Amino acid sequence: MLTYILFTLVVGSIYALLAQSLMLSWGLAGLVNLGLAGFFAVGAYASAMLTTWEQAPILVGVFAAVLAGGFAGLLVCFSTLRLRDDYLAIVTLGFAEIVRIVASNEVWLTGGTDGISGVPVMIARDTGIWFHLGTLLITVAAVILVYVLQRRLLASPWGRALRAVREDQTVASVAGKSIVRFKAQAFSLAAAIAGLAGALYGHYTSYVAPDQFQPLITIYIFLAVTAGGNARPAGAVLGAYLLVAFLEATRFLAEIAPGVTALQAAALREIAVGIGLVFVLTLRPDGLLPERSQKAPAS
Amino acid sequence: MTDITRRHILGTGIAFASTVAMPAILRAQTGPIKLGTLTPLTGSGGSYGPAMADTVKKAADEINKAGGILGRQLLIISEDDQTSPEAGLRAARKLIDIDKVSAIIGTWASAVTTAVVPVCSQSGVFLSTVSGAEPITLLPHQGFLIRTQPTTTLQGTKFGEFALGANAKTVAFVSPQTPFTESQYAALTKTVTAAGGKTTSLIYDDKKTTLRTEVDQVLRGKPDAIVMGGYTNDTAVLVRDLYRANYRGSLFGFGYSVNKQLVDALPADVSEGIYTLSPSPAEGSNAYKNVARLLGVDSPDTYSCQVYDHLNLIAMAMAVGKGDTGTIIKDNVRKVSQGGGERVETAVDGLKLIADGKKVDYDGASGPCDFTDIGDITDAKFRYEQVKGGKIILLKIA
Repeated sequence: MLTYILFTLVVGSIYALLAQSLMLSWGLAGLVNLGLAGFFAVGAYASAMLTTWEQAPILVGVFAAVLAGGFAGLLVCFSTLRLRDDYLAIVTLGFAEIVRIVASNEVWLTGGTDGISGVPVMIARDTGIWFHLGTLLITVAAVILVYVLQRRLLASPWGRALRAVREDQTVASVAGKSIVRFKAQAFSLAAAIAGLAGALYGHYTSYVAPDQFQPLITIYIFLAVTAGGNARPAGAVLGAYLLVAFLEATRFLAEIAPGVTALQAAALREIAVGIGLVFVLTLRPDGLLPERSQKAPAS
Repeated sequence: MTDITRRHILGTGIAFASTVAMPAILRAQTGPIKLGTLTPLTGSGGSYGPAMADTVKKAADEINKAGGILGRQLLIISEDDQTSPEAGLRAARKLIDIDKVSAIIGTWASAVTTAVVPVCSQSGVFLSTVSGAEPITLLPHQGFLIRTQPTTTLQGTKFGEFALGANAKTVAFVSPQTPFTESQYAALTKTVTAAGGKTTSLIYDDKKTTLRTEVDQVLRGKPDAIVMGGYTNDTAVLVRDLYRANYRGSLFGFGYSVNKQLVDALPADVSEGIYTLSPSPAEGSNAYKNVARLLGVDSPDTYSCQVYDHLNLIAMAMAVGKGDTGTIIKDNVRKVSQGGGERVETAVDGLKLIADGKKVDYDGASGPCDFTDIGDITDAKFRYEQVKGGKIILLKIA
């Protein structure tokens, strides 16, 4: 029981990192990033390849994952500079698919669909409960670190300018802000956070394979961020934990529903996720923790 | 309605937390022996998983009706792996930590199995799988894994022999990228080149709705035979496009992809003449008939037959070891699957003999079910069929 709860919390923390990544690019910079699973994969692969095949220390792997994620973000951002909204969404979705297909087919580079198994873990597996507890502490620390970083960034002039870019690019550029620079910084930072999430996920489950990075993950995170509030770090984190709790709770609800076969239970769970989203959007279109409008400093 | 307060949020949170805690309270008794099924109920394996879960449940009911194991009833808990390693891992953790199952039956996709193996062997939970990818049994599983699916290398070799038997000299292998594509092609090539033939391979994206360009590329090599390595949906697309391109050579496919569903979906002249190969269920055996009866169908698929065998083996292993843990299953599964003893085809019969102190040797619905030290089956029969006039006709079993 305890192991399961710890495991669920670790998964929740990974989702919380992804949600913060999405909050930054989508909620604050207004860049609809459907490629989240792709950046997640880039991070996971970067760290898994370095630590499993090159025997690099895990810390180096995680650092490389953050860099690789950030670099991939920069690349995607510069190739989509002129795109907004739906168009950007489609291109980023394409990016995630490219990552998955390259990972499946470039066997020499990524091990193909076999994936990389035996990725080193952060806490030794034979320590029993400490394996889960220790990993949980590390992932929660990462969530807090990213959270504090985001809070600081948002409160800074940089955060204000970013929101201005989101609201109206023309006005922002008239005010002398470089649109390209802000977008690139935000997108790249967001991708780096997703890369971090990927690395931690790989080092927890010991296994990285292309199938893990299906677009469904991105959709889940969109659901989490929508539910929590897409322009507040706390909203994203809360949304992610709630989502994982919801996904797992539906298992038990489906189980105690009388006269339901396993197949129907599985379908009911998927329906529940959809209904959940409809409910959130009807009751709280801005999420549980909506964006606070910042007052201009009195001076 | 939109003004939700902090109190509401807190309330929702507590409701969530209590739903997580509830089942443990509801099922805190030590009565039944718990086993889990982890099959794909949704996702790309969704056409196979439901029947698998159903088979295990119904077979367990029969064991329960006959008195259970060591006087205890079996309880089957079915989870959905969504054909995704990420979701599969979450489901496996739930089965292991919350339900405290002693064994997990039926992981289907090789990627899901690879993700679940370390968790199972670390927690001392037995895992039985139908995944065919070569590297799975080479993972460090400490004996907690068996599989009843012949390895893909063996299947590749059989495909090669099958194609050579149909007088093919140049064989093209057309497949989506899967964990077994490479090993299969290598085995196929080895067999065909040994007989002086040639092979080429082409990997396609299984989510495409047309494969016209891929087909053109393959046909440029003028192959006498094409071996198709995909699943039902993408193989249907491939077969259709090959027909449109007027391909006249022979086609070979897996029994699980060129199945009744595919043949029914395509016009009879499109699917005419496709050869299929599949690990043969032991048709005619009582175990096979049992699976057919449990599912209420004429010819149950190989995966349902395999999970039926998994459950029977696990049940008897627990009876022999007089316990219900994964370790006991691991230590005793080979004592009931092989090594002589009275031949049995159902756990119900086997459990009676075991209770009388006799040794049993299980021969199941999917075959003789004898395992090597790393958990592969030692012997597998294959079923050769051909599509004729919109029906799948048996050629031979060998």
